[in-house]
Formats: sequence, structure tokens, C-alpha cells
Amino acid sequence: MPEGMIGQGIGASPVRVDGRAKVTGAAHYASDMAVPNPAWAFLVTSAIARGRVTAIDETEARRVPGVLDILHHGNMRGEVQEAGFFAGGGYAGSSLRPLEDDRVHHDGEIVAVVLAESYETAREAAYRLQVRYAEEQPSAGFDTEGAEARDAKDAVQGHEDAEVGDADAAFAAAPVKIEAAYETPTQHHNPIELFTTTASWENGRLTILEGSQYVHGLRNGVAKQLGLDPSLVRVESPFIGGAFGSRGSLTQRTALIAVAARRLNRPVKLVATRDQGFTIATYRAETRQRVKLAANPDGTLVAFVHEGTEVSSRPDPYKVAGTQTTARMYACPNIRTKVTILHADRNTPGFMRSPPEVPYMFGLESAMDELAHALGMDPIELRRVNDSTHESVKGLPWTSRGLMRCFDAGAEAFGWKDRTPQPRSMRDGDWLVGYGCASTIYPTHLGAATARVTLTPDGRARVQTAAHEIGTGTYTVVAQAAAEGLGLPLEKVLVEMGSSELPPSPVSGGSNVTASVCAVVMKACEEIRARIAAAAGQGPLQGRDPATLRLAEGSLRAPDGAAEPLTEAMARASNGAIEVYAENIPHGLPEGALKSLYQGKPALGAGLEGKDRVMAAFGAEFVEVRVHSRTAETRVARILGAFAAGRIVNPRTARSQLMGGLIWGIGSALHEATEMDRKRARYVNDNIAEYLIPVNADVPKLDVLVLEEEDKATPLGIKGLGELGNVGTNAAIANAVFHATGKRIRTLPIRIESLL
Amino acid sequence: MTPPPLGRRGLFGAGAAMAALPDAIAAQPAPQEHPAMTHTLRINGRAHPVALDPRVTLLDALREHLALTGAKKGCDQGQCGACTVLLDGRRVLACLTLAAAAEGHEITTIEGLAGPDGALHPMQQAFLDHDAYQCGYCTPGQIMSAIGCVQEGHAESPEDIREYMSGNLCRCAAYPNIVAAIEAAKPQMQKA
Ligand code: FES
Ligand code: FES
Repeated sequence: MPEGMIGQGIGASPVRVDGRAKVTGAAHYASDMAVPNPAWAFLVTSAIARGRVTAIDETEARRVPGVLDILHHGNMRGEVQEAGFFAGGGYAGSSLRPLEDDRVHHDGEIVAVVLAESYETAREAAYRLQVRYAEEQPSAGFDTEGAEARDAKDAVQGHEDAEVGDADAAFAAAPVKIEAAYETPTQHHNPIELFTTTASWENGRLTILEGSQYVHGLRNGVAKQLGLDPSLVRVESPFIGGAFGSRGSLTQRTALIAVAARRLNRPVKLVATRDQGFTIATYRAETRQRVKLAANPDGTLVAFVHEGTEVSSRPDPYKVAGTQTTARMYACPNIRTKVTILHADRNTPGFMRSPPEVPYMFGLESAMDELAHALGMDPIELRRVNDSTHESVKGLPWTSRGLMRCFDAGAEAFGWKDRTPQPRSMRDGDWLVGYGCASTIYPTHLGAATARVTLTPDGRARVQTAAHEIGTGTYTVVAQAAAEGLGLPLEKVLVEMGSSELPPSPVSGGSNVTASVCAVVMKACEEIRARIAAAAGQGPLQGRDPATLRLAEGSLRAPDGAAEPLTEAMARASNGAIEVYAENIPHGLPEGALKSLYQGKPALGAGLEGKDRVMAAFGAEFVEVRVHSRTAETRVARILGAFAAGRIVNPRTARSQLMGGLIWGIGSALHEATEMDRKRARYVNDNIAEYLIPVNADVPKLDVLVLEEEDKATPLGIKGLGELGNVGTNAAIANAVFHATGKRIRTLPIRIESLL
Repeated sequence: MTPPPLGRRGLFGAGAAMAALPDAIAAQPAPQEHPAMTHTLRINGRAHPVALDPRVTLLDALREHLALTGAKKGCDQGQCGACTVLLDGRRVLACLTLAAAAEGHEITTIEGLAGPDGALHPMQQAFLDHDAYQCGYCTPGQIMSAIGCVQEGHAESPEDIREYMSGNLCRCAAYPNIVAAIEAAKPQMQKA
């Protein structure tokens, strides 16, 4: 047990501190928070993907008793200014201004907001609003006319394609090689909490209740849109009903609801419908990839080419660009990557759990399996001979790399040795059995963070930081960090998060929060410790070097065992509370990172972007699939993930995160795709009965192994893992399907029709 | 009341029907007043008189008119189970039940499970112990559904639980932990 740990600090598995609120219904999500006498908003979204709104006839809608107002482009008074696309230094998921003019840019764009006394009335009036369109032929992206392709290196600020050696020449000359094309579909996050916003004004101050992964971003973005000083905007988001990337950047609805509330001089509440959620927020971009992979007969890679084309909107070049990761995954002397953005009449895509890695690691890890088969080599051994201590693009060292340890531990636990290498060689009655595996990786992103920690004379601590609870257990891990730093039991620590009134914390994305926020909380606790220790001279710890005194088990303790109760030691240092505000800029991030944080702009760094080193969590995933020999029904019978992700703050919540990731991977590989009517560029299955997310009965035997790993590159050695679990799963399942059936499926999701 | 449909995959078409509505304007009758009607809903053992537009669902009545926000809205069309409550001990989807139709029935919500002293229901305790949630948004519905599942006799094996809990979606995918929690709570419930 590390020094200073008392069973509830870093590394312990307490029940979540917010668990009781969650199981009793006391946890309040945005739309659960009461506001006095709200008016209700109901959105009307476009029925075409491209063209113009030629007329909005309000007559029928206005006749509905209880209708208060209808916002549309014809009566907006320039109230909403641009917030800018986040990747271009702005705040929003799309650079489109809500209700700016009569143009329709994509399916399901907001064209009107109906306001009424009740939800039922607003809904009825919305259905009675007559919107007429002049439709133009849209492009859905792939396989349709009118899409515009641009090289990412020209379209996207800061994007670099990798070029090491001469990959094409090396590929041409190589003895063993494969070349293949892979496709990944449009997918939607579909958190179970709908997209909701409540806005109210009081004396020129705006309060927004909205589930957000970045309350400071939302505050600053809305302030910019409405021409307000950010201090006049308050965002409250204490609990978030799942996010997965969908609540990271500003969407169009928030400013509109704020405008509506200002016009009505009354709080306005919006609970958008499930189908609207498919078009008023972001989604995972569709990709098509081409991979060339070549090796010597011993398996050592000699060439890797990874090209990807990704669908985005007309105005915004959202990039997936998982080539940044795939190019660094294995040792290889010749690498070339290229990303192309395909602009079409679509909403702008955005981050969805493991945004770059999920589509692109499907390509690479499927190709590795294809190459192993071509070489007649075990797929784990192929990864072993190409394991590396340094990434292959710039030659920077990995701070630690547990990949092969994960493969070895995972293979052992899974029983990989029982696999007979030949495809279609394993069978159980009518079921073809296949074992597959794949690597997983997630870069360790870190962000600047701030926190205030207050220790009160009764020996209780309060931690304030604007982090977010999206299901990852943030209240709990932050409490654990403070419990460890101050030597207190968990129940004496109160954590306040999810409000723009608190010191800013980074966007809850890129799996950075545990590492970024625990670091700054520990820093604040250390300063409190130092102040108490410095004042210890008069008491029972007289004569001890203050630097050696620790806070543990409710006392200030010297290495020789002498101790003074915390409340007494504290009284020497302060007549009242001790309050410390701390800031932290992780190694490798620019000085400006704090300023960006205060401006509400996500500025994550480290990971694969380090100048002197690269840092990532790794893992190996193993899957047994069963494919019915006559019906081609495909089921995951068991799945196992082995992961090395640095120091684990809370094994209980970490396991839940990794488990959730593996199940997301099953959904992605076998179920999930947002289907399009390509002619009209509109979604077809925009509900959660037809967009198939995994249900309980889809989840088989599942095992998570978390390996110990010490990474000394950062003070706490924490690597994020919320997005690690679902990176390798697509390929592990596709590889298992190949092993079961002899059929290589390169287009996701793998469905019965893929195998017939 | 019939039990809720458990196989959500049989519910094709609900979303498409919603999306088609605006196009059907021409066929609609003229708008009319929907005067509120007073109902008495018995919730968690207490009578709540409430005046409601007849179109208000039980879910919206609880959440928007009675400040009982434990039951959640995840789809409003019977696809997710986040709104599950018990009606005379059987699980129903509150978004597909009109409030008026719940009059005369005993409604139990997540807020009514813990004892007056705050002691958790065995199912709530089991969800805590097994980390059977992440974001917690589906959790009230999962817990109500889990209680219904045990009471119906559909928690006889892990396979049984998985099947009969498949009407409650959890996007965080806490499923294996939910199954473990139900297995642990079942004997506790039977003892109580
Ligand atoms: S809200 Fe009732 S089933 Fe989804
Ligand atoms: S806990 Fe998040 S949806 Fe179930």
C-alpha cells in the first residue's frame, strides 16, 4: 500500500460517492431541475437536406390555444452571433448560425422553435406549423454526386499526414503483403438522456441548465453568441445522462432557447425528441479507408500505407484522422498516411467515444490479422515482432507501453492456445466458432486544470472544480484524490462540480479528466499540507523537518511515528479554514493552456502530440464469436480485454468504464449504423428501436483484466481509460468472424447479410 | 394493464410515424382547447390530486406536474425503459401510459422505494454494491424494472434476467453489473 493511503484514497474501490443519489432518483439531471412557470419549446426541423425554406405559414400553429411565439429565420433579429467552429478556435460543433437565413444545410436542421404554455401544446403547434421548401439535390457524401473532396492537410488547421521512408516503393518490393479497403458507418452517440436545455434570465443574467461535457465552453460560447460578458452566463450541469462526445461542444439549440426566454421574459424549457437528437448534435463520421501492409517472411513490417476519406459538412472540416495513431502503432521503417475530407450536405460530425481510433484502428487491426494469415503466423506473434519502444513517425519514446504484456495476460486468461489457426476449423454443432484478437490503444491526453480546495477547522474538505460527471465516476475519483492528499476519510470530502461558477476544468473528453483533475487537486492538497506542516514547530512535532510531515489518517504525521490530530495541527496554521486555489499545466502543454481553459476552449495536449515523448494506454482484446452455419446469425459468446493504463485511481469505476467500452465495441461491430436515404441525404432509423444499441441480452460473458503499470512520466502516473475499451473491439470481432467463417468482412457493422 | 413490451425490436415504426406527422397537417382537425381535468393519482402511498391536459402522459405528470423527476425520459416512445414505474406492482412504461389511465392504480416510483428512515430497498443497495450504473440516467428505470422482473418470476437465471431486462437500455452498458445486482437482490427481496 503506498504511503499515506488509508483505504479510500487513490487506488481504492469505494462505492461511488454519488451512488446513493443515482439509485434513489435524487441525482438531478438538467431537465430534472425545476424552474418557476416555464414556457415549453418544441423544435421544428428541416424535412430536406439541402435547399431553402420558401415559406413558413404560422396560421394553423398560432390557432392552437396556448401558443406564445414561434421563432424562425424570418423573425430573428440578429440576436445570435457566430460562435465559431471549435476546431478553428471557436466553441461550436458547427459554424452555422442558428436560424440565420432561409438556407437548409442538412437533414433535420432547426428551422423553427415553437413556444407554448405546455409541452403538449408546443408539440401540437409544431406539427401544425407549415414549412415549405425549395429542395435542391443534396449530396450524402460517398456514392453520391456533388460532394467535394479536399486534402485534410489543406482543409484542417494543423493536420499533418505522415511520410517516413518510401512506403510505396517498399510495399512494391516486399515479399508478403496485403492491400484492402475498409468502411465504417455513420453512428450516433444516443446517450439515454435526451438533449435538453432550460434557460432563464434575471436582471440581465442568463442561467442555462443543460447536460454538458464542458460548462466553461458552453458559458463562453453562448456569451459570444449573445454578445454578453461571460460572467453574466451561468451553466449548471451537475449530472449528465451519458455524453460520449455528444455534449462536448456548443450546439445550435442553446442560444435559441436563451433568446426565446429573453423574448418571453420567462424561463423556457426544451426537451428535444429522440429523432431530433440525431440531427441537432454531432455524430461519428463515416469513413472509407485503404490499407497497404507489407512484411518480411519473419513478420517484421516493411511498409504501411493508410489512407482515409471522411464525410463532413459543407462548411466545416471535422477530421477523424486516426492515422495519427495507426502510423505510430508498430515499428515500421516506411509509412505514408493521407486523410481526405469529403464535404457533403450533412451536419458537421464530431467526437464520439474514441473518435480517431475506433474507425482507423478497425482498418489497421483488421489488416494486421489479414497479414498474419498471409504470413501463416499467429496474430499475437505478428504484434510481438513489431512491438516498439519508440513511435515510428518521429522516433519519440513511449513513456511506457504495456501492449505485449496485455496480449500475454489476455491470451492466457482467454485460452488463446485452444485456437486452431485454420479458418472454419472450430465448430460446436451448427455453430461455427471463431477466436479473434486485436490491439487497443488510447493516447493519454492531458489538459490544464484548476481547483479550489478548502479545509475547514472541523477537519472536512470541500473540492470545487468545474469537472463533469458523465458516468465515469468523476465525483468519486476527485474525492479520492483529496482524501489521499489530505489524509481524510472519503465521507469528510465534499466535491462540487458541473457548474461554470467553479474554477475551470477541462472538457470531459479524450479520457483526460481523471489525470488532469486529480493532478491539480493533489497540488492544492500539497499546498495545504505544506502550510500546516510549516506551522507544526510549536506542537508535538517540534523539531521535525516540515518537508517530511505527511497528512494521513486524520493526523499530521512524522516519519518517526509522532503525530498530531489534523484539527489541532491545522489550528496552528490558521484561525479558520485553509483555502487553496491551484492551477496545473501538464508537461508538454503550452503556457497559454490556462488562458484557453478560462476562455472555454478545449486545449488538450500530451498523448501523441508530445515534443519529447509519447504517452498512451494499451490493451489487447479477445473475442469468441459464434456464427450459425445456416442462418449466419452472429453472436459474441465471450469477450475479454486486458489493459495497461498506468495507475488506476478507482479499480471499480475503471472496470465499469472498460466494460462499457467493450460493449460499445460489440454494438459498433455487429449492430450500430445510422442508415441514410442516400438520394435525399436523410436518416432513416432515427430512433433507438431501429438504431440498434446493445441490450442486456446482447452481452455475453465479459472479462476485464487491468494490469499494474507504473509510468513515471507524470507525477501521478495516471492514463485515461474511458475510451480505451472500444478501440480494438471492431477488429477483434471481425477477425473472429474471419476465423469462424473464412470470410473477411471489411465493412461495419457485420450483419447477417454481410455473411450470406 | 398489460406488462410492457419487452422486445424493443418489435417496435419498428414508432419513430417513422412521428417524423411523418408534420406532413399530415392537411388531414388534421382544427385545433381545440384541452381543458384540464382533475385526477387523483396514488403515488408511493399518497394521493396527489392534479389538474392535467388529457394528453399528459404519466411520465410528464410525474416529472413536470408533481416534481417526481426520478423516472426519466429517454425516448418518449416506448423504446428505452428509462421511464419504467410500477403500476399495481407491475412494470409499465410511463411514457406510453396516459396519466388519466393511471387513476385508480397504485403507482410506485424510484422515490418510493427507500424506507422512511432512508434505508435503501435491497435492489437499490445491490445496484450500489455492484456498480450497476455509470451515468445513472437509466438507473431508476432499471431498478423499477428489476424489481418487476424479480416479482414476475423472470429472474431465475442470468440468461432469464438478461432477456427480461432487455427492454431497459443502458448506453453506458452497465449490463453485466445489472445482472449481478439483480441476482444479489433477489434473495434479499424474498426474505423481506
Ligand atoms: S421514455 Fe419511456 S420508454 Fe423511453
Ligand atoms: S448508466 Fe448511463 S445509461 Fe445506464
